[in-house]
Amino acid sequence: MYLTKEEERILNGEYGWANQTCMKILVRLGELFNAQKLISITSAHVSGVSYKTLGDAPIEFLEALADADGRVKVKTTLNPQSLDPEYLIKKLPENLCRKQVDILKQYDRMGLTRSLTCTPYYLGNPKSGSHLAWAESSAVVYANSVLGAWTNREGGPSALAAAIVGKTPDYGVHKAENRQPNFLVNVEAQLRNETDYGALGIYLGKLIEDKIPCIQGLQKPSKDKLKQLGAALATTGMANVFYCSNCSEGKGVEKINVEDKALRRTTEELSTSSTKKPDLVFIGCPHCSMNEIRQVAQLIRGKKVKHGIEFWVCTSSHVRNAAADYVNEIERSGGHVLTGVCTVVSWTEKLGIRTIMTNSAKTAYYAPSLSKAATVLAPMEECLKTVLRG
Amino acid sequence: MQPITLKGRVIVEGHCTGEALVSSKPISFLGGVDPADGKIVEKNHDLCGACMKDKVLCFPHGHGSTVGSYTLYSLAKRGLAPKAMINHIADPVVVVGAIITNIPMIDQVDIKQIKTGDLVQVDAYKGVAKILKRKEN
Repeated sequence: MYLTKEEERILNGEYGWANQTCMKILVRLGELFNAQKLISITSAHVSGVSYKTLGDAPIEFLEALADADGRVKVKTTLNPQSLDPEYLIKKLPENLCRKQVDILKQYDRMGLTRSLTCTPYYLGNPKSGSHLAWAESSAVVYANSVLGAWTNREGGPSALAAAIVGKTPDYGVHKAENRQPNFLVNVEAQLRNETDYGALGIYLGKLIEDKIPCIQGLQKPSKDKLKQLGAALATTGMANVFYCSNCSEGKGVEKINVEDKALRRTTEELSTSSTKKPDLVFIGCPHCSMNEIRQVAQLIRGKKVKHGIEFWVCTSSHVRNAAADYVNEIERSGGHVLTGVCTVVSWTEKLGIRTIMTNSAKTAYYAPSLSKAATVLAPMEECLKTVLRG
Repeated sequence: MQPITLKGRVIVEGHCTGEALVSSKPISFLGGVDPADGKIVEKNHDLCGACMKDKVLCFPHGHGSTVGSYTLYSLAKRGLAPKAMINHIADPVVVVGAIITNIPMIDQVDIKQIKTGDLVQVDAYKGVAKILKRKEN
């Protein structure tokens, strides 16, 4: 891989250990995937923020980078943390909260923005065609597929390395020839709601390996539905990008049909609860858009949340502030609009939550292992019916 | 037996010999593996309940969360990481985890040839895995 004189100096340690370590990660990745050079990025998005998913050991790695003057060179946003500053912080053990504060402190020292969201694109859309280094698999797929920006699916440390160097190796979907669809998916099944889009993603993710699907037969899906599809696709697969326009059937392109039966079976497998009586109803994986918060507010208007059941709507503080009127309606009814957190990266099991109902296929996939919870996967309307009185 | 040589590509250099733990399913290190004991916890996974500590872990590829690189880092710090990793297709999340923990890793290997319990030598300088001894029944 070609390195400029400046990049060579960083690799040789002339700019300190943090820059050198980050450059080593990038060069190694680049050599492995046959990159010819490093390219500048316009933004980075870093995963590995929640203490629950990060654990203790990587905190030392972050602290060492910050101690050695690792500082980001481009705008860099952060994924959600394990609690929110209003509600969960009062319910969770103090030692866990302290560790979480410690992690954020290290990221502060390195100059990252406390966005604390898996949907950094709601804080400002990256330009179509711009090169990014994003972790958070759902955001990667959304950026490539819905916004037309270009980013590989970075691991947490490689996104941070790219942020500190300000560059990423030029491989994978940073190159136009690697963004061509090579797997045709014909959806025969009727997709009725966002949950069906999520189930489709979970089903396809297992099949496509590193291929790029072109999904045909979708009925003008909203961006929110594509968000569910992409998040689920990245959960069970290693997808970076999908297309849902008409694609031509090239030579050697694999083709599959998705029938109703496959989708129903996937949805059933994602609902593990036998009782279907949730302790928590959760909307907001990935974090809610303004539109989704408005939908929740419309469904909840004038009604009350049942006793003995929690109702969480998770989003970024940015979207919460912009949606203040809707947020008031949800909270007046007894729901909680939590910022910078979600169930997957928090400790719901420590709050006595054993069954989670959600409209997110991604959450339904992760909850049994990460939250030790049984799941009920159902669309937003059904979730609201379950949680509201009368 | 005559050793069976499987050729692949170097991801992270290193050399080791160990017992193979082989999966036909992709692994998500976040959520799929308990960083406290190194066991695979994803339900319906063919390795559910198996511990990857000191094993030559063979699986098709990684999937899912990008935090998986840090899960590998935690496993390594606790001495619970695999001795080496062999993939069919290397996924950047697993690759970055291997880089920051120095776990020898190769990919582009036909892992179906390897069975759990086989004694496998990994030469991740040359990108070669050798099955030295089949598991005794």
